[in-house]
Amino acid sequence: MRLALAIGTFFILVIHGVVFYNQFFHQWERNQHAYFDQARVLAKTDVERSTLASRKPRIEQIVVSNFGETRVDRCTTCHIASDDPRFATYAEPLKAHPYSTTLGDAQKNGKWERRHKFSEFGCTVCHDGQGRGLDPEYSHGKDEYWPEPLLGYTTQENWRKDFAPKLKGKEYMQANCAQCHTEIAFPGTPLVTKGRELFFSSNCYGCHRIEGLSDGTIGPDLSDVGKKWKLDYLWGRIADPKSILATSIMPKFNLKEEDIKALVVFLKSRKGRNFAETEIQRFKVKLTGGAELVQATIKPVHINPAEMVKQGEKLVLDRACTACHKLGDRDGGIAPDLSFEGLLKDGPWIYDHFKNPKSTMPDSIMPAFRFTDDEFKAMTAYLLTLKGTSPAGNGEAIYKALCLRCHGEKGDGRGPIAEHLDPYPRDLTKAGFMNSKPEARLVASIRNGVAGTSMPAWGKLLSEEQAKAVLSHIQTTFTKEARRELKVRPIPEKNPVAMSKESVARGEGIFVERCAGCHGKKGDGKGPNSLDILPKPRNLRNTFFVDSVDDRRLFESIQYGVQGTAMPPWIDYGLTNNDVGDLVNFIRSINQKQQKGGQHAAPVQ
Amino acid sequence: MAVNLKRSSGEDSDGGKTSRRKMLGWLTGAGLFGSAGLSAVSNFVFIKPRATYGQPQRFSVGKPEDYPSGTRAILASRGICIIREGSKLAAISTTCTHLGCTVGAADTGFACPCHGSRFDQDGNVTGGPAPRPLPWFQITLAPNGEIEVDKDIEIAPGSYLTL
Repeated sequence: MRLALAIGTFFILVIHGVVFYNQFFHQWERNQHAYFDQARVLAKTDVERSTLASRKPRIEQIVVSNFGETRVDRCTTCHIASDDPRFATYAEPLKAHPYSTTLGDAQKNGKWERRHKFSEFGCTVCHDGQGRGLDPEYSHGKDEYWPEPLLGYTTQENWRKDFAPKLKGKEYMQANCAQCHTEIAFPGTPLVTKGRELFFSSNCYGCHRIEGLSDGTIGPDLSDVGKKWKLDYLWGRIADPKSILATSIMPKFNLKEEDIKALVVFLKSRKGRNFAETEIQRFKVKLTGGAELVQATIKPVHINPAEMVKQGEKLVLDRACTACHKLGDRDGGIAPDLSFEGLLKDGPWIYDHFKNPKSTMPDSIMPAFRFTDDEFKAMTAYLLTLKGTSPAGNGEAIYKALCLRCHGEKGDGRGPIAEHLDPYPRDLTKAGFMNSKPEARLVASIRNGVAGTSMPAWGKLLSEEQAKAVLSHIQTTFTKEARRELKVRPIPEKNPVAMSKESVARGEGIFVERCAGCHGKKGDGKGPNSLDILPKPRNLRNTFFVDSVDDRRLFESIQYGVQGTAMPPWIDYGLTNNDVGDLVNFIRSINQKQQKGGQHAAPVQ
Repeated sequence: MAVNLKRSSGEDSDGGKTSRRKMLGWLTGAGLFGSAGLSAVSNFVFIKPRATYGQPQRFSVGKPEDYPSGTRAILASRGICIIREGSKLAAISTTCTHLGCTVGAADTGFACPCHGSRFDQDGNVTGGPAPRPLPWFQITLAPNGEIEVDKDIEIAPGSYLTL
């Protein structure tokens, strides 16, 4: 017992001693002693020597309040020779900070003079790191919870091993230069300039918002991304988006390593408010949407009518359309194939879709990009020349070439890009749906497309026979059930209820009561029950679709339900022909003109 | 433990057993009192803070060329007055030794606006309630060619830095 006690107390004494030693005999003191010793050797006059003799180790600090929050930088406690030119060739920490013309340092009478004096700027403004720290590990930000490790010098333990070596280098500090030097194309920050250009040329701005530069809404706001995230995360999100967030829909762009670096530096420089900006300047940038900055960065291409197609092709390829779309060998894996665009769409459709994607596809997620009208025209002209090559072979080959990208390998409507389409591609394995529709309608869907959805009209590419071959391939491989004779049902060809205010009002009443649970109060297919339903309830405000469907089909879908979906046969729940007529009138009325504002589906006044 | 007891009781003399106990007692005592002593010393060391908040006491005030001969420049934010006469430089405090107001320059030297203390060119008291002359701070030429003032070190009035 006594022995254990003795050992115990001795152990405590040792620990106590170590703590004591660490607390009162610091590395920085030893560094300062080393500096004084060296300086004494280098001293030339007695005055210098006597000055040195009076200096004792102490914590040196620079207090800087000009750049955001007040900074207390104690870096010079260890790096005590940082402003002593005699120590230019010594090893760290006793190394003088180099002079450089790129930093604005100038030589006067053979002596260097700093542009950024340490006493005014401190250290962490440029270098990051933990200014108050006195322990190398903490002050350099090696600790994984410190948000700002020394920029370009320190990588943290938990950073991805394959990225970490790429995140070292002085050039990363340009991100901090840009906190004050916000000029476009500032010569000291070439990577920021390049990154800003890439932000536009790679169409990042289509999805992401950066205050004063862009206003995309699909991706996260990047206005202060540099403040929130470290280099490792930024690099990862660009180089391999899914590795950081498995559900990320951001495409993996085909970027070179230098390009990623430039983007990372540019994003790191986005820290919200800049030191150099006044409130007024910031307000101005906000008002104009940074028009000056944007104009200086996106240089519109002068379109020469003679070379329109060629210039359009260059724009489409250079501006990363294939980051989402497929075109020849390039495939972004997000959006539809453009290889046959010239056959599937016409000029005005493509042009309108460019100008405002939602104007032609109500639920499109494609952003409206900033191009000039001439550029849009050139790109349209180029897309119209894309006719692809007519797929040869049997139904299976055609399915693989044209349909698989959306409808999927198994025909279940879960192709590679399906999740980005709204409405989703049809699940072709649902025999209930497939076999309840006449063959002629299915062939028509293939050849004429489905208006307002991503299903294009393949009619110019596929003959009647080819479409039928594809359909029979689908029937035998995916649907599997044989077709049966369809029942003949009493369905009115035309809506028996005349369109009137009263009919629409009655229709709205029934809609809210019976339909809104799935189709939503607004009729946009986003009712509370819609989340659990696949295929999703139809968006009844998709005017292109609703207009393409005749009264007979609306009656059939409502009265007898849609087999293979959640739409029930309402005839079983007591809806009469007149009720359905009112509903049809209501659905037609909300598509008669674009309604603006208003929470509820309001009939036309 | 049992083994130890057996071994010690197996020894011939009583003396061996007690000295072993004593030894352990000593070790325990040394450990405990050593730790206590270290804690006590640590407390005393912590009485004076090592770093203070606010601007550092040693700072650079620019190049000697910025102060031509005959200059008496008051740097209000730093609380000092840089004096240059020929090739001689000095830094005099501008904090009144009476109640700590900032003194201003006057024809005859410095004058305090608060209670009328007056100082001559070298900071000696010539009138008013100030009890002591204005202190002079150490002024040196840093290796990068700039003048450095250290407000932590007071030097005898009249001692200049000669360039």
